[in-house]
Amino acid sequence: MNTTLKISNVTKIYPGCVANDNVSLEFNSGKIYALLGENGAGKSTLVKILSGVIIPDEGKIYLNENNLKLNSPLDAKKNDIGMVFQHFNLFETLSVFENLIIDSDEQRESLKEKIDTIMKKYNFSIDLDIPVLNLSAGQKQKVEIIRCLIRSPKVLIMDEPTSVLTEQETSELFSSLKKFSEEGILIIYITHKLKEVMQLCDEVAVMRRGKLVSVSEIENENIESLANKMVGQNLKTIKKKKAKTSSDQLIKITNLNFTSEDPFETNLMDINFSVNRGECLGIAGISGNGQSELFQVLSGEIISEKNSIKFNNNYIGDLNPQERREYLMAFSPEDRLEQAAIPQMKIFENVALNNFKSSNFFNNGLINENKIKEHSKKIISDFNVNTDNIDLKSQFLSGGNLQKLIIGRELITSPDLLICFNPTWGLDVGAINYIHETLIEINEQNKSIILISTDTDELLKLSDKISVIHKGKLSKIMNAEEVTSEKLGILMGGAN
Amino acid sequence: MIIDINFIGLIIASIMASAVPLILASCGELITERSGVLNLGVEGMMIIGAISGFALMTVTGSLIIAIFGAMLAGVLISTIFAFLTQTLITNHVATGLALTIFGIGISAMIGKNFVGIPGKEFPVLYEGLKDTIPLLGPILFGHSIVFYFAFALPFITSYFLKKTKIGLIVRAVGDSPESASNQGINVRLVRYACILYGGAMSGLAGAYLSMIYTPQWIENMTGGRGWIALALVVFSTWNPIKILIGAMIFGGLTIIQFHMQAIGVRIPVQFLTALPYIVTIIVLVVISRDSRKIRLSTPSSLGKSFHKDN
Repeated sequence: MNTTLKISNVTKIYPGCVANDNVSLEFNSGKIYALLGENGAGKSTLVKILSGVIIPDEGKIYLNENNLKLNSPLDAKKNDIGMVFQHFNLFETLSVFENLIIDSDEQRESLKEKIDTIMKKYNFSIDLDIPVLNLSAGQKQKVEIIRCLIRSPKVLIMDEPTSVLTEQETSELFSSLKKFSEEGILIIYITHKLKEVMQLCDEVAVMRRGKLVSVSEIENENIESLANKMVGQNLKTIKKKKAKTSSDQLIKITNLNFTSEDPFETNLMDINFSVNRGECLGIAGISGNGQSELFQVLSGEIISEKNSIKFNNNYIGDLNPQERREYLMAFSPEDRLEQAAIPQMKIFENVALNNFKSSNFFNNGLINENKIKEHSKKIISDFNVNTDNIDLKSQFLSGGNLQKLIIGRELITSPDLLICFNPTWGLDVGAINYIHETLIEINEQNKSIILISTDTDELLKLSDKISVIHKGKLSKIMNAEEVTSEKLGILMGGAN
Repeated sequence: MIIDINFIGLIIASIMASAVPLILASCGELITERSGVLNLGVEGMMIIGAISGFALMTVTGSLIIAIFGAMLAGVLISTIFAFLTQTLITNHVATGLALTIFGIGISAMIGKNFVGIPGKEFPVLYEGLKDTIPLLGPILFGHSIVFYFAFALPFITSYFLKKTKIGLIVRAVGDSPESASNQGINVRLVRYACILYGGAMSGLAGAYLSMIYTPQWIENMTGGRGWIALALVVFSTWNPIKILIGAMIFGGLTIIQFHMQAIGVRIPVQFLTALPYIVTIIVLVVISRDSRKIRLSTPSSLGKSFHKDN
């Protein structure tokens, strides 16, 4: 039972941008295909066309020589195309089973049996009766996959599936995908992560600015060649010079505890560490082990005991974020659109938000718009934000540009310490490189960083010292040269 | 003082009767809100139902035409709301408020010719059984068909939402219209249907007031019951059974405070009149404190417009 999916001359034009420019591709079952490209390259548009969410302006799609008319997601489902979106299409307040039965025509009992068989076969274990909002990201993704498998699809499309997964969950996903492929399901894997393409896929198609750039066998490629194709220019590899060892202590955390009333949060237990000037302390860990609580405690969103945080010889544990900024701390939270910036506000308004006191943005309670705009323009040019319109609403910036804006906003006051949480989460290679360079520069200016990240490669690249957080406890602090990603992996899993 | 046990039964029955319009309107609005639509026009739809029912009864003489006509009037006026919010994507809150103001205005206009006309007697069921059982007799028997329907409705609503496929789809749309749309569910259709159903129930609630509870037309006769119905939905955390409890408490306190005023209890009248509103809300807040359950039953997309982009 061979499946062939053919995309023929597909074009989709949005006002001001050609999302897909005459794209033609052919896929055959038995192989895992990667569709690779930076954010905005047009790969999401292409898979949305395949899943019937978007209707193309031109072009045809053939499944086993049959011309498919995909006018709605329902059409895709009927034609045995299954799709797992990057942002899950689940109903959070419904139970897992309700989520699965809602688009199925089968009776309760027979569906239950079918789900049980699928779960046994692929070693999934999920409680069907609990609401989806209680599941981890990895489990939610499994629910999405089960939802596709129920219909025994011929084609399974995965859109950036690992962006929310831990490493453990990622490797589980990969082995499942390989199994599906062996059973004859055609798999199309959309990503911008090169390592995953090399690990998982057999063939790779690269897209750039809406156009198909290349199609090749994975054996003929390596990470560098793919990166260059994806970005369209040669990327320089960045490396951190070994920091001058300084013994000038900037921040010291002593016996810091945090007990949460929310059962979904992690308690922090007896946190102790210090960071010297010019140093970058990396904090590794699987997400959900207390990172976000730690970030909030350090930034002052959660207030702790006065003496537990000593910064520049001042005890600041009981200060709020605004007051901590006065002492020259700066923060870049994980969620760019929810925590760091207000999506509906304009770029220059967002720039003004964290500078209430220590600037001349406000005169007698009135906004000094010219000053703010001038300042915003400086950030945009200094930090390479790809827009010249500071009146643009922040939600229309791409993730990379928004992150550059946020880091720029924080750094322009030249703080002594920058605390950032997953600064490159979900960004494309170009933006990641830029952010990494910026962070290295900060250290070179003898300023310090606390980098909380779930990306081990990033931590190994940027940190001078590394610690691992597991269930709200920090491991001992290690010198970055002595650490390998294997060692971090073991500590992240909770072993000593 | 000997209190006649049947007298207590009669008081309970009158409490239940005063709860009927609240239950009907709340259960209708609950379905609307569960699909993610916030319709603040309940008061307006109720008063339109009230005048339509009364006018049709007077003009045609048929109770059946009047009852169904009132529901149809509720459907029609809610279609305006549905068209504005779902097709033209207007703001739910503003549109709902406008609907209420529109309803009150137009009902007063139509109602001018019906002021002072006596209503018709509405047939009651099992009248003869009233005296056969002490206490329970007056509670269970001798009520209109609408009364029985109202007390069955919370249970039907609960069953519908939890056990049927369409109920599941309604909840799914309220949880995430984007996901529902990607699953091939016609979000706009589902929301239209839920809004129209809410309109029908509000229309019926209004007709109950003008045809059965106090069979006459008085301008603005709903007197804020639509707002209470809305509050019941929210404070019951979208749970039909708790709506029933809330409506009974509200009805009970309203009746009891009338009696207290009549006896001449030395509490300011204004306080007594305000009492049902405050106590109902406090009780519902207290019985719905489980934050996990609130999270699970609150429609996440409530009041947010959904437009499919392509």
